[in-house]
Amino acid sequence: MSQTRSSATVTFSVWRALFLREAVSRMMGKRMAWVWLLVEPLFHISYLAIYHGVLRSRSIGGINTVLWIVVGVLAYYMFVYPARRSMHAISANQALFVYRQIKPVDTVLVRVALEAFLMVIITIVVLCLVGLAGIDAVPDDPLLVLAAAGGLALTALGFGLLASVLHELTPELGKILELFFLPLYVVSGTIFAISGVPEPYRGWMMLNPLAHGIEIARQGFASYYHVVPETDIVYLYSVAIVVLALGLALQVRFKEKLVAK
Amino acid sequence: MIIVDNVHKRYVTDHGPGRWILKGVSLTIPKNVTVGLVGRNGAGKSTLLRLIGGIDTPNQGRVTRQCRVSWPMSAGGLQGSLTGRQNVKFACRIHGHERDMAERLAAVQEFAELGSYFDEPVKTYSQGMRARLQFGLSLAFDFDTYISDEVTAAGDSVFRKKAAQAFKNLTDRAGLIMVSHSESTLRQFCTAGIWLHDGQAYWFDDIGDALKNYKESIAA
Repeated sequence: MSQTRSSATVTFSVWRALFLREAVSRMMGKRMAWVWLLVEPLFHISYLAIYHGVLRSRSIGGINTVLWIVVGVLAYYMFVYPARRSMHAISANQALFVYRQIKPVDTVLVRVALEAFLMVIITIVVLCLVGLAGIDAVPDDPLLVLAAAGGLALTALGFGLLASVLHELTPELGKILELFFLPLYVVSGTIFAISGVPEPYRGWMMLNPLAHGIEIARQGFASYYHVVPETDIVYLYSVAIVVLALGLALQVRFKEKLVAK
Repeated sequence: MIIVDNVHKRYVTDHGPGRWILKGVSLTIPKNVTVGLVGRNGAGKSTLLRLIGGIDTPNQGRVTRQCRVSWPMSAGGLQGSLTGRQNVKFACRIHGHERDMAERLAAVQEFAELGSYFDEPVKTYSQGMRARLQFGLSLAFDFDTYISDEVTAAGDSVFRKKAAQAFKNLTDRAGLIMVSHSESTLRQFCTAGIWLHDGQAYWFDDIGDALKNYKESIAA
């Protein structure tokens, strides 16, 4: 008989196993699933870019409209993909909790990590395509772009931890949370510029941390971009940390209830 | 050794807290003993297995495992969209057998005799095939005590014979706690018995006595 493993070793092997398992079912689950992974953001970005860039205006806030749309939508997905998928992590993996090594929180963490990882790949592919189309898609300040993406992913993680517990314990609340994703797309400033909204409405819209993350990402791409004045990276990270703490607290509080049948 | 100390358990239903299923169960299950759990439907057999397996926690009291205990082996734990091979790999990984995964995979493949189905998604399997994979998987790891929730009762007669033999070999070196509704299975594999009745557990050194009490209770 071998020795018992330390808790950290067990956790890491669980994360690794879950990550590989999730990756396989996400990319090979349905026929050509990995193609659809790319098709959704690509299609989305193309029609928005054509609509705004060709039919409406050539530049928004001083930068090329197509780049403005591309970066905005990608940044938006950096939050939405991990958040939306991790919400269902616990309910989708109920069968796995017969292994006592696997805790509900593991499934959420791994899903967010996988979705964020996939989003990085999608981002690189999309930016390469935009570059090939002749638009300068090289960030002026790559670190700022990474900081924005990190803040958005962290917020998604907090949201996922929180929402997966609510969704599992009270499915009705989960449904309501899902409804929030629809207007979120519009109010986060992905398809129209928040800087054009008059006060006091603009201040209210900037309570949404997503709007901050998206604006910062655009600023990272073009340093001359006119960001919304209220944009603040500290606000984005503060919200992320608060949601994260709340989410983790809920996961700890309900860890037994989540696996009980 | 597994110590179950004054364990109370009830589940929360849609209409508030349910009735108490276990009301102060205390047991000490020594190492390398094969125990059969008997009791009528809903007496809490699977609940007790889940508590011993550490995937559920008691409302009151505690369970201490001083040895390596398997997961409660039953029909669960397989992901339908993944193939048999991927499922076995997953189990190997979480049990820390990344290095010798190839050998374990080969062992499970050989035991389960699924042929080309081993590389097909589990959702295409018949019930018998699922059970074979499940059973092969349970033998792939070394535990001090195995927990089995009706896992032997599957497959055709040839496979059942082979499974029985494998189980016998297993119990020569490890403990076993099993739930089964088949009296012959219990008598075949278990020496001791636990009878669950009215939220209490009664230990018998001989499985025959446990079965006798159980039968008297359902006849009455």
